[in-house]
Amino acid sequence: MSLFAYSLVIFILATAVATVLFRDVLSVIIVFGAYSLGMAILYTFLLAPDVAMTEAAIGAGVTTLLLLLTIARTTRPTTDALRERIHVPAVVVVGAFVLLLCTAVLPDMYPVGSTSTPVWSNPDVTQHYITETYEQTGVENAVTSVLAAYRGFDTFGEAVVVFAAGVSTLLVLKREVFA
Amino acid sequence: MIELLMDRYTYVLMFVLLGLGIYMVIASENLVKKLIGVSLFQTAIFLFFISMAYIDVEGASAPIVPHHGEPGEVMVASPLPQVIVLTAIVVGIALTAVGLALIIRIYAEYGTLREDTLREVRADE
Repeated sequence: MSLFAYSLVIFILATAVATVLFRDVLSVIIVFGAYSLGMAILYTFLLAPDVAMTEAAIGAGVTTLLLLLTIARTTRPTTDALRERIHVPAVVVVGAFVLLLCTAVLPDMYPVGSTSTPVWSNPDVTQHYITETYEQTGVENAVTSVLAAYRGFDTFGEAVVVFAAGVSTLLVLKREVFA
Repeated sequence: MIELLMDRYTYVLMFVLLGLGIYMVIASENLVKKLIGVSLFQTAIFLFFISMAYIDVEGASAPIVPHHGEPGEVMVASPLPQVIVLTAIVVGIALTAVGLALIIRIYAEYGTLREDTLREVRADE
């Protein structure tokens, strides 16, 4: 079982590195779609099927579509080189950042799936939503009930953000104008 | 050391993905690739939340609670961080859409997507 998880992690790492290194933008977009798919499978493995479905539909689907539409309307630089030049100062800065995180922060993290994470060390909050969800909302899926009922205003705010993004996209593309 | 990495593999993956996302934003000359780097960075944060909600005990399942089961403590992954991530994914795609629209306008105005060329064109004006 965890062998599957480790191979999935390696797949995600490989696609992420390919996303960074490929020079051709179309290749980058396609590899990034594969990366999103791998991420969705990892979410399923980590017991979050709702998030996995959203990631597969939006991350692998809509994002790829938007990126393809963008390069169709702008340009895709032609090049012979397969991969991007390595930007050495950025590698040093980012490498130091990751090394710092791995040495200073990682030992204080909790093992994956441990019951001592902040989410589980105080189980009253989470258990309340899990045990009361059918009683109070009539939905068996706790994610749905939290999204639509307990955090309904949050989801409403999210809809406002999406609406604002849609309006500003149309304004920027000059499909709509201020009167 | 190896055991530490194996135990916390999703966090290690998250740190590396954070690094790769930042590297793409810093080092890529192409604006579309910069935006893909931002998306990569976001998914790393989502992975952090999902790892925190995950629980690895006997019989643990996704946060779906059958109502005719016996009452008591049900061991399912926590729904609370998962809902935050659901919201964040949708807000993330909205952000990407606005960014790409701006990129299309920049291209229409200046005819390039490369950062260095853009800087030269703007300096000439």
